[in-house]
Amino acid sequence: MREIVIISGKGGTGKTSISASFAYLEGSNAVVADCDVDAANMHLLLDADFSTKEDFFSGELAVIDESKCNNCGKCKEVCRFDAIEQIDGHYTVDKISCEGCWYCSRVCPNDAITMVKQKAGDLFVSNIKNDSTMVHAKLGFAAENSGKLVAKVKQEAKMLALKNDKEFVITDGSPGIGCPVISSLSGANLVVLVTEATVSGLHDLKRVVKLLKTFSLQAVCIINKYDLHANMTQEIEEYLAEEDIKVIAKLPYDETFTQALTDAKPIVEYNTNSKLSIMIQESWEEIKEIIRSRY
Amino acid sequence: MKIVFTAKGDNWDSQIDERFGRMEMLVLFDEEAGTLEAIKIETEQMDHGAGLQTAQKVLNLYPDVIITGNGAGNKALDILKRSSVKMYIGAGGMTLKEAYNAYKNGRLNLQF
Repeated sequence: MREIVIISGKGGTGKTSISASFAYLEGSNAVVADCDVDAANMHLLLDADFSTKEDFFSGELAVIDESKCNNCGKCKEVCRFDAIEQIDGHYTVDKISCEGCWYCSRVCPNDAITMVKQKAGDLFVSNIKNDSTMVHAKLGFAAENSGKLVAKVKQEAKMLALKNDKEFVITDGSPGIGCPVISSLSGANLVVLVTEATVSGLHDLKRVVKLLKTFSLQAVCIINKYDLHANMTQEIEEYLAEEDIKVIAKLPYDETFTQALTDAKPIVEYNTNSKLSIMIQESWEEIKEIIRSRY
Repeated sequence: MKIVFTAKGDNWDSQIDERFGRMEMLVLFDEEAGTLEAIKIETEQMDHGAGLQTAQKVLNLYPDVIITGNGAGNKALDILKRSSVKMYIGAGGMTLKEAYNAYKNGRLNLQF
């Protein structure tokens, strides 16, 4: 079982469009993990059925027990998030503002404050197109993605792949370079970088490459929208050559990307024989070859 | 020497966990005493800052060497570098036993 993680640094480069196409192409030989939990959309392209659901817990909220509270107000004094107010004579915690930092519960002289674990969202295992399976998640209001949730999604996906003898886990990583991205990357066998021919594309690409180097992870790159700006593409290619990262495809700017999204289909399903689809298929074959030859 | 393995199980045949901050299990090997012990650090409970919290918990065991797969992220590295511990990477895909042999035979790289 090998894991391929697709990340972008900058959002909007076409990462999910491409991951969804890979997932569609590989079908039941892969388990898909959608770690872009803040803005999950793989489920739309792959027709997920949300068949299995599990609660996901993250963070805590302070709860004041009125019967033990003597209205001393120490909790409100220390709260850095303005989450405690006196309403109708009782000190109350505002659930949306509370960050679960524990400060109030520590200072309460009467032990009237308990920290209660919060359900942050749901974890799903879905059946998707082409007889495959996807692990994904949906967060509640004001809940945020974290390394913890990403780790859980990946772990479930890997367990399923091992249990059902699937060769690949295809992980759609989180955008950016924060903790969710680190968690997406860790344990990957191959990283696919999807970038675009723009200044911010290159800038953010450099940031994720730095992250990759910390973990000594092998990576390949797909330059999307390469024909938007020939000079930019050249600069990106030169940079990648210096970093010893192979460019496996240069995809032209193509409105099919958007049309496919509107139709809720991965590009390779929307227009199977287009030049774009063929390039994506060839990239996927090359990725598999690289992994299989390495392991 | 005291060696910390980032692991997915608690014995010599278990797989190395490539991750550091969110490792499934910490296994401590005391070369002198010959003991192999799984230590609970409950990374799955860590909502945020897992790298930092784990680095602290690992250092509290006073290891000489850490053997792992990918290595630690930047923030955890900052902490670990201040100690005298040596972090060996490249053991991903190996069992603890294989990783230990690789380390002894100089086949693992230092992350720092």
